Order: sequence, then structure tokens, then C-alpha cells
Amino acid sequence: MKKFLIGAALAALTAGSASAEEVKLQLKWVTQAQFAGYYVAQEKGFYDEEGLEVTIMPGGPDISPTQVMAGGGADVTVDWMPSALAAREKGLDLVNIAQPFKSSGMMLTCLKETGIKGPEDFKGKTLGVWFGGNEYPFLSWMATLGIPTDGSEGGVTVLKQGFNVDPLLQKQAACISTMTYNEYWQVIDAGLAPEDLVTFKYEDEGVATLEDGLYVMGDKLADPAFKAKMVKFVRASMKGWKYAEANPDEAAGIVLENDESGAQTETHQKRMMGEIAKLTAGSQGALDPADYERTVKILLGGGSDPVISKAPEGAYTLEITDEALK
Amino acid sequence: MKLLMFALAFWLGASLFNSWLAARFSHRRWAQLFVPALFGVTLLVLWEGVVAGFAISPVILPAPSAIVARFAQSTALLWGDFAQTILKGALAGYLLGCGAAIVTAIVIDRSPFLQRGLMPVGNFVAALPIVGIAPILVMWFGFDWQSKAAVVVLMVFFPVLVNMVAGLKATDHLQRDLMKTYSASYRDTLFKLRLPAAMPFLFNGLKIATTLALIGAIVAEFFGSPTRGMGFRISTAVGQLDMPLVWSEIAVAALAGSGFFGAMALLERLVTFWHPSQRAR
Amino acid sequence: MTPRILSARRRLWPRSGTARRAAAESLRRPIGSGGKGMRNLGPILTVVAAILVIWYGAAVKMNAKWVYDQAARAGAEVSTSQLLRETMAQERPVLPAPHQVAKGLWQGVAGQKITSKRSLVFHGWVTLSATLAGFALGAAAGLLLAIGIVHSRAMDMSVMPWAIASQTIPILAIAPMVIVVLASLGIKGLLPKAIIAAYLSFFPVLVGMVKGLRAPDAMQLDLMRTYNANRAETFWKLRLPSSMPYLFASLKVGIAAALVGTIVAELPAGATQGLGARLLSGSYYGQTIQIWAALFAAATLAAGLVVAVGAIERVVLRKMGMAA
Repeated sequence: MKKFLIGAALAALTAGSASAEEVKLQLKWVTQAQFAGYYVAQEKGFYDEEGLEVTIMPGGPDISPTQVMAGGGADVTVDWMPSALAAREKGLDLVNIAQPFKSSGMMLTCLKETGIKGPEDFKGKTLGVWFGGNEYPFLSWMATLGIPTDGSEGGVTVLKQGFNVDPLLQKQAACISTMTYNEYWQVIDAGLAPEDLVTFKYEDEGVATLEDGLYVMGDKLADPAFKAKMVKFVRASMKGWKYAEANPDEAAGIVLENDESGAQTETHQKRMMGEIAKLTAGSQGALDPADYERTVKILLGGGSDPVISKAPEGAYTLEITDEALK
Repeated sequence: MKLLMFALAFWLGASLFNSWLAARFSHRRWAQLFVPALFGVTLLVLWEGVVAGFAISPVILPAPSAIVARFAQSTALLWGDFAQTILKGALAGYLLGCGAAIVTAIVIDRSPFLQRGLMPVGNFVAALPIVGIAPILVMWFGFDWQSKAAVVVLMVFFPVLVNMVAGLKATDHLQRDLMKTYSASYRDTLFKLRLPAAMPFLFNGLKIATTLALIGAIVAEFFGSPTRGMGFRISTAVGQLDMPLVWSEIAVAALAGSGFFGAMALLERLVTFWHPSQRAR
Repeated sequence: MTPRILSARRRLWPRSGTARRAAAESLRRPIGSGGKGMRNLGPILTVVAAILVIWYGAAVKMNAKWVYDQAARAGAEVSTSQLLRETMAQERPVLPAPHQVAKGLWQGVAGQKITSKRSLVFHGWVTLSATLAGFALGAAAGLLLAIGIVHSRAMDMSVMPWAIASQTIPILAIAPMVIVVLASLGIKGLLPKAIIAAYLSFFPVLVGMVKGLRAPDAMQLDLMRTYNANRAETFWKLRLPSSMPYLFASLKVGIAAALVGTIVAELPAGATQGLGARLLSGSYYGQTIQIWAALFAAATLAAGLVVAVGAIERVVLRKMGMAA
């Protein structure tokens, strides 16, 4: 994958001028406690200590982190492993350098009144799914259940869910995709009680895939200077994550300060931080190869239409975290 | 780099050839088709040359050749999306919205009071960015094409209404006085003088509305849709880094939009052949 | 189709290119009657009142389902007065009641410092600056292209069909791509948004100006020929003046389009400031009141921009002696 010439030229121009090393981080989604570790590391000066100047770029519904990486718009991105591996198969050399999240926060939230008790009851129902790279875990799960998603007989009707939980509240869908730390609580906030709902966590269903890892372009890793920069970045970021885990309320406050849209609320962010802390608790930042293998196995087991067709090679490196967490 | 050089040379040659053709044969039917076609080919050759010459990543901008190949192999998929978005969403909304606008214009034309009240409010509502309305309409009308048609109705209604109201006023006193001397009724005046005189304005609105309808139907699908449709495909294919498919959909949209606009322009020529702007000079 | 009746006075066709101005203009009013604003106030208030009544009715109807569902889940009955009360004050209404939107707007505009991230004034300014930059770019491009098309046959034949085709490309689809491509070139901030706004606003200006520059009819053009005027003189003395009504009509469309373009560009671009970002985050967190408040702020901004163009139009046309 060759670099875009002009971009390279510009990067070369700007790189020489900065005293601190610049890192551009592309988030997977909008500014929220899901990314608290990075904002904390920035506010608390952990990046400064390493001599880094980090620009955190929020994502959004139509921003594909993989595309930003391909365009050279960022040095490192937060992404889910399924979409990173799918992009890798498309020829984009994305490599996982750290995995701050141990567990998956994905779940399917259903209305109890639809009569759904277990996964076998999905047939014939309408389910809301996120797309844009986030559909892979769902499709893999349905494939392992043997439920068709293409609208054929005995399958489920899939809706491309917007970014909110309205389809469930308005009963346009029987179930919607939610994250344990975000959308689930939006449903609760809207006035539904937990006993009105039936939830299926991907962790419990044994179809959890790795979320929110840090990915860089493989060809850049050949450069020792870039590698050294990433070691510093991962070290400072993990420091930020552990600080956020220990001080969830302060971390939520830092996130709120950084939210430029002014749309986030304190209660929601504090609760989100609490839920996020559960997901990051099991990780010091290093990817556990066993988790990786499990994710790949789930993605390969997609029946007739798997997310990835063959086991990827060189999709992760432990060198950065080995160096950073010494 | 060779390809880039060739593309630049081709561009230069084609531009000169086009100028010469336009100067000599501008009234020939074949030239009127050939000139824009050559211009389009030139753009594609330049695009191909730039992508190859600068080694642009296909994830950022695929080459036209890759897009054509993807287009050819996924025609069935593209047709399904086209039917869902254009034939159901855009067309239904367009017909409903334009029809309602024309009827509304004629109704409020008789009531100065209503006009004075409705037009400013209408202009205000027309200024609502539909992008923001789309998620709300998905919430109201469901995920299928009905909500997309509703977005289109809102998008096309006001441009057509404003143009039609202006068109109904596009007669001189002299012409209206003449109708009075013929002791023509309101209906006669409307059908024999004012509606024909309004046509250039109406078609101006209808032509603007074609592209609005298309964009409205596609954009609305970004905010929730069944798993088919052009907007759905574009947004999901970006996530899957299938850029050639994205551009194939964009090509379908451009073709459909041009056809739609062309059909309206043709209709306009048939209806308003008497208007000065229809004579190319 | 009746034969066209020629008017004795050779007016620009159609004289009412300016008729896009408020309908009141064309109502032949006695000389010395009150200002336009005062005369329109009554009708506007009537229409707005009617809309509010319908709106309240719709709000009750659309929000009722949730109240009934919630009651059913709690196993309770809903009385009519309770229904009315609850549909008027939901946290996440399907359709917020007018007073909820008004409150949201008021809080957004006056409820905090205008530098606050929760201030609609702050976000409105972010959107406005990109809109104006894009509109300037787009209007200039549309104007130059139109002049080229009217004077060069090759351009007319080759560019016009493609200008039309360019508008059929769903800009929202390529907005994220445009942003990504520009970001990889190191262009960030206001400019990418302005480019998308320009892309949407150049087209109406182009179409309007081509029509306007061709508005003079054969008799007027012949007159210029008898004066032995060259192309430039014909352009400055006849074509450009006759195109003014068309120009301003299309500028009004163009500036509204530029605003929509900016908002669209703010949605996916990760631009976390601006009215578009407010709309998106409101939609994402299901805060319907925030969506509606941002919508109305955007519409107010657009209406203000159109009115501003209209004011410039009146001044220019009066200076040119064309005011109707």
C-alpha cells in the first residue's frame, strides 16, 4: 500500500517543525467515556510526560476509522477487531498494537412483550443492527445460530438501526443492538424498567469479539522511530486507562469537558465510565493471543458468508506492549 | 506516470477538438451528444491517470476501471437498490410533493390573505435542513420506503410551491385586461392565460426538485433503513471499504438523476416552446 | 395553448423574475399604505396559530402510544387529563410540544454564555462561518461558469450536462469521503465544510444565471447589434442587468443550499461543533427536544440569510432602476 504522495510531502513538512512528537488518534465514535483513558492521559499530562502531542479526533456514524487510516489521516485508531480484520482482508494492512478492552460490551436488548426468551425465538422477528463495520459480530452470531439474515424464510428481518434506541421504544423492532455502557442505559433512561427487557450479552452467548483495540498501519511499524513513538503512546494511554478506572467520576468529568457538541450529560457519562471500567479491568493493555484466536474463530465460523475467509497473519504484534509495559 | 502524461495530453487534445466541434457543428444533433460525451470521457481518463500516477490508495479513490468492473458484476444488487430508493422512495415522494405544491399554489392564489400568511411561514419551513428531519420521519413512518417518500415530499414541496406562486403572477396587466375585455371567467383566465404563463416557472421548480428528490431519498436511508437501498449500500460499503461498490451506486444515482432531469427538461421544451430562454442564442 | 399576447411595452420577460419576493409585492396596493411587515403580520399570525393548534393535537396523538404502553407495563389505567398532561411533558417525545421546543430554544440561545458548548449561538456561529465561506466560493464558481457557458458554445455543450449530473451525486454519501481525502491532504477545519457547501450552492446560481443572461429577447439583442456593440458591451449593458432578478432569486436558493451543505458536512465529519453536530448528537441520544431546537435554530439562520440577500437585492435593483 503506497502512501498518498502529497500527504506524505505535507507530513514531511510538518514533522520537522514540531519539538514534541505528534500523534493523531482517530476514535471509533463520538467523544464519550468509552474513550476516557485517552482524554484522561491528555488532561493529566501523561502524554506530555512522554513528550507526545496527541490530537484526539472524535468519530461519528459515517466515519469509518479504517478509511481514515487508509487515507493517512491518523497515526493510530481505536477500532473493533472484526472490522479491522475485514479491512485487512480487503488489503489494508492494519495491525493491533494494544488491547485496552478485555471484554465485549455488545448485547442485544429485546422487549419482553414480544415473547422472546432465548435466541431460538428470534426467527420471524425484526432486529435492529448497526452497520458501517459494526455488523460483523451480529452476522457471525446469527451464522452460528444458523438463522438467515437475508430476509429468507425462517430468518430474521434486519433493520439498519440509526444511532439511537427509538426503534425499540417505538416498537419498530423487537430487539436492537446496544452496548452495556451506553444504549442499554438510554433505554432504561427512556422509562423502561430492566424487567420489561430481555438482554443477550455477546460475552454470555460465547460470541464475543474484541472491541476497542489500538491499530496502526503495518508498513509504518518498520520505522523504529514510529515504533518508539507508539510505545510511548501506549504506555501513557494505559496509564490514563488505569487512572480512569480508579477515578471514574473524575474521568467522566474530563470527558464532559472535551465534548465539544455539549450533548453529553453528567449522569450518563458517570454511569458509562462505571460500565467501561468493567470492560478494561481485565487488561493491562497487552493483547491476549487466546482472545485473538477466539475472535478469529467466531469470525471464520460465519457459515456461507463468513466475515473473513481465511485466518489472518500478522494482524497483531506484541512488541509494542512488551516494550511499553516493562 | 506514463498514464498520467497520457491523460493530460488526452485532456488537452479533447478540449481543442471539442471547441472546434462546438464552433462548427453546434446545431447538429450528433455534435450535441458527442461533445458532452467526449468531455465526460476526458474526465474519466484524467481520473484514471491521476489515480495511477499518484498511486492513490483504492480505499480513498478507486480508479474508474475498478468501478466499471464492480458495476458489471453487481448489476442485480444495484437494480434492487435502485428500485427500493428511486422507484419507490424518490418517485412516490416526488409525485406527491409536486402535485400537492401545484394544487396548494392554485388554491392560495385566490386568497391574498392566505398567501401573505403562508408564504413567509412556508419559506421558514423550507429552510429546515431535511437532514435533521430524516431521523424524525424514520421514527414516524417506519424504516421502509414510506419514510423516504415523506422526506422527499418535504424537500420538493416548497421549491415547487414558491415557483408556481411566482408563475401565477407572471402575466402583464395588459394580458389580464385583455382577458377581462373578453369577459373571461376566473377559470378561463386561469387555464388559458395564467397556467400557460406559469409553466416556465413551474418547470424551473420541477427541475430543481428532481435532484432534491434523489438526494433526499438517498440521505434518508442513512438514518435507518431495511437492508437494501442506495443510501444503505453506500453507508455500509464505506464501512466495509468496498469503495468500487460505493462509486457504482453513485454512478447509478448520477445516471438516474440525469435521466430524471432530462425527462423534465424535455417536457419543459414541449410545453414552453414559446419562451425566449428556449431559443439557444 | 393560446397564442402569446405581446405586450406593448417591451418588458423583460418575465417581469416577475422578482416575484419570488413576498407575495404581497404583487398585490396592487394603494399608494401610501402601511409597510409590508405590518400588513403581513395578521395573516402570518393566523397561519402560525393554526399550525400551533394542529401541532399540539399531533403531539398528544403521537406521544399517546408511549403513555399507554408505559401504563400497560405498570398495569395502570390512563385518564384523559393524565394523558394530556403526560404527552405534553415527556423526556423523549415522538413529537415535542411547541412549548417544549420553545423552552429548548430559549435555553440554547439565552440560557447560557454564548461561548458555552451548550449554546446554540456558539454552534450557529460555527455553522454560519462555514456557510458564508462556502456560499462565496459556490456563487463565484456558478457565476463564472454561467458567463462562460453563455459566451462559449463548447462550454455550454460540454459543461452544462455535467453540471447537472454533478448535482445528482448524493453529497452526503461523499461528504465523509471528501473529508477523509482532504484530511489526508492536511486540510481540516472550516474549509472541507465550505467546499461541500459550495458544491451544493454553485448549481442554483449557475442555472439561474444561464437563464438570466439569456433572458434578453431577440429584439433587445438586435438593438445592441444596431448600436454596433461588441460582446463585452452587450454583456455589461444588456445581459448582466437583465439577469439581476434571476441572479438574486438563485442566490436565495443558493445560500439556503449552502447552509444545508454545511450541516450535512457537520454530520459525519466528526465536526463536533456546529448545528449539524447538535442535530446528530440529539438524534443519537434520542433527545428529540434538542433536535427540534437545533432544527429551528438552523431554519432561523437560513431565513435570516435569505432575508439578507433579499435586502441586498432591493438596494441593488433600486440603484439599477429596476425595482418593481
